Amino acid sequence: MVHISDGVLDPWLWESGWAITVVILAYTLSKMKTEDVPKLSVITAAVFVASLIHIQVGPTSVHFILNGFAGVMLGILAFPCIFVALVLQCFLFGHGGITTIGVNAVNMGVPALIAYLIFKTGTKLDIRPETKNKVSLFGAIAGGVGVVLALLLLAAELLTTGEEFYETTVLVVSTHIPIIVIEAIFTGVLAGFIATVKPEMFGKK
Amino acid sequence: MISEIDRYAGIASPIHRWDPRLRLISIFALIFSVMLLYNLQLVVVGMTFAIILTCISKIPLSFVLSRMKLVFIFVIPFFIIIPFTVIGNGVEIVSFGGITLSYRGIEYVKFAAMIVLKALTAVMLIFPMIGTSRMDITIKALEGLYMPNKLVQMFAFTYRYIFVLDDEFTRMDRSLASRGFKKRGNLYTLTTISKAIAMLFVNSYERADRVFYAMRSKGYTGKIATLHEFHARRQDWVNTAVVAGFALLLQVAATSDTFSATRGFL
Repeated sequence: MVHISDGVLDPWLWESGWAITVVILAYTLSKMKTEDVPKLSVITAAVFVASLIHIQVGPTSVHFILNGFAGVMLGILAFPCIFVALVLQCFLFGHGGITTIGVNAVNMGVPALIAYLIFKTGTKLDIRPETKNKVSLFGAIAGGVGVVLALLLLAAELLTTGEEFYETTVLVVSTHIPIIVIEAIFTGVLAGFIATVKPEMFGKK
Repeated sequence: MISEIDRYAGIASPIHRWDPRLRLISIFALIFSVMLLYNLQLVVVGMTFAIILTCISKIPLSFVLSRMKLVFIFVIPFFIIIPFTVIGNGVEIVSFGGITLSYRGIEYVKFAAMIVLKALTAVMLIFPMIGTSRMDITIKALEGLYMPNKLVQMFAFTYRYIFVLDDEFTRMDRSLASRGFKKRGNLYTLTTISKAIAMLFVNSYERADRVFYAMRSKGYTGKIATLHEFHARRQDWVNTAVVAGFALLLQVAATSDTFSATRGFL
């Protein structure tokens, strides 16, 4: 995940990040049923674990962000999942910051919701083994868009904080360009695979 | 491998005896208070307090330090890049192969140091905050603090499944390796890993279904049930007053003129 650490951003940025997060979280939680909890948790945990795998790309090593994927699989419930994953990542690993959980959740959760919208309009949620190719295609687009939007939000926040972050922003964004491609392919393959093997996984929203 | 944060939850210390609900709230307030500081001296004061708390909690320093290493990976870019890239109207010191170090850039080192110290303080405070009680008790404390029940359940389940899936993932990695699979930067690697992860998702989804029905049939209703009950005694409130009071004190000091904010470049 593209994390922002504590103490980097201006206070008003992470404060508004929390405000937006609380509003979306309250709304999405009200849409969630108690029966969904175990399934959502298991996918949250899987996203969490999968984002620990590092793949060597040239000189740098990158890892999955999977926010677009979460959006494709979970719909609007991707937001609470990303929030929970961020909180646990912060407390179990020290990844990211505590005060910036809100803004990080917005950075990754809002693109996940947009990715879901793209996937939904593209496939009309008609998922069967026969429509595998279409599901793969829109899965790939959604996966790529999720990362691109997350990076754009991150860049906007760093640049609003101060112009001294210009080079850092360029560095962070450019090292993540391979991730966009990787994640698009990954989400596409995954969506196609699940459409063939267990299409009803998409139905539970 | 993922190491558990509550490995040292079993030892005895004043922090361990502190009511988890009050402990979570007070230390959380302290973390936020430190994050709101923009003065290097005050951040150092906050960090000293964090070190004292960690020492009182008797959590081995080696354990704390091993976790803090990760912070550096995230914040070091700021430390290295900022001094060399901020030129502004500062005086040049050296210029070598397109890289310029200026006086103004050095001033920014102070700012970078502040970011690093704040991040370290936050990570360090996590240990007295949640490393001092078992995870199930921490999760019950979240319920006691009126966190939405669905969120509390998600924390509990996700925390549990992370370790299960991590094991499963290691197994998958090993079985791929035993069939001669090597991770390379090509499309084949990517599709193979993608399909392996997809299978992991399908498996874990089915497992979650089975586990949930098993829990339901044993009377699970979504409430966190442990044998532990919380009682806030006088000593708990004294601890809370000390830690939360210190958090407040830092904020009061920050507004006074003695400690100016080092964000002059904005």
